Amino acid sequence: MATIGLIVNPAAGRDIRRLTGGASVVDNYAKRRVAECVCDGLTITGEPLEVLVMPDRTGIADHAVAEAPAETDATTLEMPIEESSADTRRAAARFREEADAAVVLGGDGTTRDAALELGDVPLVAVSTGTNNVVPSAVDGTVAGAAAALVATGTVPADAVTTRHGTVEARAETSTGERRLTGLAAAEVSSKSFIGTRALLDPSDLRGGVVSQAHPSNIGLPAVAGALEPLSPTDPGGVAVRLTDPDDAPRCVRAIVAPGVTATVGVTSCDRLEPGEPATFDVPDGVVGADGERELELTDATVELTPVPDGPRLVDIDATLERGAQAGGFEIPAVDEPQRE
Amino acid sequence: MTELDLDSADGRQEALRRMVTIRAFDQEAGNRFADGEIPGFVHLYIGEEAVGVGTCAALESDDYIASTHRGHGHCIAKGLDPKYMMAELYGKAEGYCNGKGGSMHIADVDAGMLGANGIVGAGPPMATGAALSIDYQDRDEVAVGFLGDGAVAQGQVHEAINLASTWDLPAIFVVENNHYGEGTPVEKQHNLDNLSDTAQAYDIPGVTVDGMDITAVAEAVAEARDRARAGDGPTMVEAQTYRYRGHYEGDEEPYRDDDEIERWKEQDPIESFKDRLIERGELTQEEFDDLESEIESTIDDAIEYAQAADYPEPSAAYEDMFVDQPPELQHFANVARTDGGANGGDHR
Repeated sequence: MATIGLIVNPAAGRDIRRLTGGASVVDNYAKRRVAECVCDGLTITGEPLEVLVMPDRTGIADHAVAEAPAETDATTLEMPIEESSADTRRAAARFREEADAAVVLGGDGTTRDAALELGDVPLVAVSTGTNNVVPSAVDGTVAGAAAALVATGTVPADAVTTRHGTVEARAETSTGERRLTGLAAAEVSSKSFIGTRALLDPSDLRGGVVSQAHPSNIGLPAVAGALEPLSPTDPGGVAVRLTDPDDAPRCVRAIVAPGVTATVGVTSCDRLEPGEPATFDVPDGVVGADGERELELTDATVELTPVPDGPRLVDIDATLERGAQAGGFEIPAVDEPQRE
Repeated sequence: MTELDLDSADGRQEALRRMVTIRAFDQEAGNRFADGEIPGFVHLYIGEEAVGVGTCAALESDDYIASTHRGHGHCIAKGLDPKYMMAELYGKAEGYCNGKGGSMHIADVDAGMLGANGIVGAGPPMATGAALSIDYQDRDEVAVGFLGDGAVAQGQVHEAINLASTWDLPAIFVVENNHYGEGTPVEKQHNLDNLSDTAQAYDIPGVTVDGMDITAVAEAVAEARDRARAGDGPTMVEAQTYRYRGHYEGDEEPYRDDDEIERWKEQDPIESFKDRLIERGELTQEEFDDLESEIESTIDDAIEYAQAADYPEPSAAYEDMFVDQPPELQHFANVARTDGGANGGDHR
């Protein structure tokens, strides 16, 4: 029996961008419903599946297990709960050993935390967060169906998964080295403190490196995407350096947060080869990952480097198409009862 | 409040000073209460300092706050003098409310501190009222109503947020979720993981932040203040925090264990902010030690001042209730003055 790992980050989709921008609140009720839909979607192949769910203290995981369809054998993982990103990483590390596919509900941060531990396990990323460059805004049932098709081997994983790059941040400070990994982006902000974590004001953004770039993205990948688009499957990255629009040689309009478009001044926007670092001096600022401030730094030098061969992401549409081509949705015809 | 501006090194130093002052004040208040010097009850703010100071760091000096039963921290965060606060706790005439309020009723309207109070959830209606006044007079201030996690389920809190929302008033509701309503864990009071989710019912934004991090609280309240001043109405900010002491001094705390308290202390708001300032090169450990010593002396002076101060005259019980004192009260006040209070309150 194939095994699906399910991670629902209770904290995703709640940050201050509900106040400063137009992001929607994704409350626990909504997350419970999406998780329930994922489990329903797992029945698409008709094969029984084991479902391992990351536990939490909000009742989301318990609800998913309680409401899981009879065709599934759903349980929560036995693991400590810290109510932090450590839970996601711990659960993902278990899935690396035990799951055939994983479904992650959250934003880029949650997806990154899971991806860093999942290894080669195919990952279906569903958006219930704020900064959603990588996760798809897709119905949970559809996501569950894609995960089931991959996990059961109905659709070969190699045919419908791609490797997404990451961005490694390495900071040299007076007190030593500090590291951070971004999935879609690693950013440098001039804000002094982590504060509410979210990167709020584009005028605070000094630049960064992205692993994919498209105008339809949100945040720094959108800025880079306006000038130097980069497919998620392309190796390398794009380094963007920003300045005040009044002093900038180029300006772009970009979606910098949900509900926020802005004019952003660009000093430079350059493709980077895999492993080629971009260096930023940070006299007083914060290095972020995927739209959230993470490392407070003073008098530091930061190297941001695109790294290939990151998480193995499932293309949901391609998976379902391939599933149909393979006859994965067909069931034996039922004979019409004969009339007497 | 520019002197608490966390974007400046001086402001950060002042914010740290106020957090340390709150802790020192409340530690000494707890000690003196245990010694029987302070009447009534005291509810200490130790552990929650980042919420009060972070909130006030985002306000201007003429903004208003309305407090809770755990109000010492709010007072100090808003800039009240520990000397007159301690006198109030001691019930002395030199206190902010002439010794008639005590710990749970400190107010200094001139400083924008509309009052602590002993009624759970009474801060939000006061904040809504102040916000209505601001709006009616077309002024620029905002009003903050503090409330605890237990108060979120109070009817008057619903009324206050509902009206503030409906009328787009410049109010901010800061929920200090310290995870216990008296002795009841928050998960046994509410079917919500984030109390800020309740904001959706009022069609206003709600956000939950780390209440142990002064920078997170200040940033969220600053955004809420901008929103209020732009005429966009109220905001709810839930700060997840923790009180290190019992609900009240003397609480035996059968509802939690020491391990839980120690886990929260690992995120101590003063220690973490101090460490960050040291890392930024804005403070040394020696300077912090000196700051603690200086504040200890300030609190010792406040205790001595309070101990030496006089109790209010019995007739003062009839004062400060009405702009124009009714004749009946004037009569009783006169009686109290005449007989020194022996029968001053007896109006049979």
